[in-house]
Amino acid sequence: MIEDDEGHARLIERNIRRAGISNTIHHFTDGTSALDFIFNGSDGPVLNGPAMVLLDLNLPDMSGTDILARIKTVDKLKRTPVIVLTTTDDKVEIQRCYDLGCNVYITKPVNYEAFADAIRQLGLFLSVIQVPEVVE
Amino acid sequence: MVALNLMGAGKSALSTQAIRRLLAVSLGLGATILVVVSLTAAWLVARDQEYTGWVNHTYTVERHISRFSVLFERAEAARRGYLLTHDDRYLVGYRESATALPKELETIHALTGDNPRELAVIAELDPLLSSKLNTLEASMRAAQSQSMAAPTDAATLEQDQPLVSQIRALLMRMVDEENHLLQVRTERQTENAELLLASVLAAGALLAVLSVGVAILVRRYAADLDGSQAELRRVNEGLEQAVAERTADLTRANDEIQRFAYIVSHDLRSPLVNVMGFTSELEVSLKPLQALLHDVEESAPSIPLKAAREAVTTDLPESINFIRSSTRKMDRLINAILKLSREGRRTLTPERLDMDGLFGGIVESLKHIAQERGAEIHIEAPLPNISSDRLAVEQVFSNLIENALKYAKPGRPGRIVVRGAAAANGYAFEIEDNGRGIAPGDHERIFELFRRSGSQDQPGEGIGLAHVRALIYRLGGSITLDSELDRGSTFRISLPRTLLRDRDQIA
Repeated sequence: MIEDDEGHARLIERNIRRAGISNTIHHFTDGTSALDFIFNGSDGPVLNGPAMVLLDLNLPDMSGTDILARIKTVDKLKRTPVIVLTTTDDKVEIQRCYDLGCNVYITKPVNYEAFADAIRQLGLFLSVIQVPEVVE
Repeated sequence: MVALNLMGAGKSALSTQAIRRLLAVSLGLGATILVVVSLTAAWLVARDQEYTGWVNHTYTVERHISRFSVLFERAEAARRGYLLTHDDRYLVGYRESATALPKELETIHALTGDNPRELAVIAELDPLLSSKLNTLEASMRAAQSQSMAAPTDAATLEQDQPLVSQIRALLMRMVDEENHLLQVRTERQTENAELLLASVLAAGALLAVLSVGVAILVRRYAADLDGSQAELRRVNEGLEQAVAERTADLTRANDEIQRFAYIVSHDLRSPLVNVMGFTSELEVSLKPLQALLHDVEESAPSIPLKAAREAVTTDLPESINFIRSSTRKMDRLINAILKLSREGRRTLTPERLDMDGLFGGIVESLKHIAQERGAEIHIEAPLPNISSDRLAVEQVFSNLIENALKYAKPGRPGRIVVRGAAAANGYAFEIEDNGRGIAPGDHERIFELFRRSGSQDQPGEGIGLAHVRALIYRLGGSITLDSELDRGSTFRISLPRTLLRDRDQIA
């Protein structure tokens, strides 16, 4: 999970847990450390198999779309599902994310119930999703 | 820079004015010189003719004087011949001359009537001639009566010799006088001719100088004109550039504001998500607490729980509700700003709009509200068609008609009239209602963001009219309002006939 807002991160995590997902969640508040983990972390997706990325677009050091582009251009990662979770509901931005290979785009609504619902449904979606094995 | 250029142009125009004045003066001067020269020449020519007349007159007088002397000498000679030969041919000659002489003298007298000196001579000559003629006559008669006798002696012949000499001397004086006059008059004539030549030459020289001056002036004037034209062109180009620069500045500033509005509203949402989210979390957490309280109250009623119960059952839910309603309101406001800024950045695409059809669509979409409120919407077809951005125009008019439906006067069935007509620079549309009206103090305020007027009994954030006005401004139009409390309102919207496509690229 790459999300610079601690509160949002906490809310997302709580709702994912409520949906019954118990996988380890690594939380990063900036793009640099997130990329470092993805590409170099000993238990990161490149070196250590399947993962899923929850991505916020507004990060302090880089744009989320840059991270999305980086992930989707690497062979080992391009099948890794990326879920963009952001406050932007700008059509151009959404299209750009899908063009770059984003799998799901979720707008963070201020209406918390809708938000929680979305996250919980995402959790259900994740529980049935087939995460591809990383080809060694 | 522009101001300086204009000042420069002004200075050049001033010298141009001076040149114009100089030109006018020169032309006036030239004309005056021409007139003066013509008058002078005319006068001099007249004088020349006069002098020529006088010279001719002198010649005439001289001719008559010489004829007189010839006649006189002939009379004398004829008498002498007759006295010597008694030949009648001489007598005839004598008679002719003797009768012609007084007439000739009279002619001379008439011709020289203006000359006192000649008159004096004539006055002297006249008695001498008479006495001479008498003498001659007497001697002739004597000779006739003596008939063919001996020829008259020399003494008789010579007896009036002094008289003859006197007459000859007088005649010489007259000729001298006339010669003198002739000389004077010829001199005058020459002088006059010289004067004429001199004045014509002087005038020619003056005119030449003047025309050279005028030529120089005209050349300078033309150069000045060229200069100021070039200057004008330069200033014009400068102006265009200045306008382009200003426009670019304004566009930048506008973009900045739009981006600012977008970023601010966008970034404000992030903390708001947290506030809403954790408020809901609080609510979720409250439930086990309430259940616990309930359990404790049932199982151990002895524990005093009044304060805890109040907090858990009343205060906390109330606080949570206030936080929630406030954040919802804030979210709506932020969304409104986002919407406005997004509208401001939307590219307008003008197309031919069938306004009757467009209003028909709006009325159709608002039909259920109109029916619910018992209002009727009347469109005075045909409305003038314009070329503009369909979505923007639709939003403007549907907003206004919806407002008219929303703010009807309670207890009075709403009636909304839409009409359109040609106006000064485009078309004017009117949305008239018989609703509750707007207080005069609020006529400007209602177009501001988040401001509303009258009793707040209808849902809304105070965005509609701000949005409407922003759209109309972007469409190149304007909106005004006529309204009286409880009587109704009339919104007047003027829109250009054609929305320029490149307006957005310029602005």
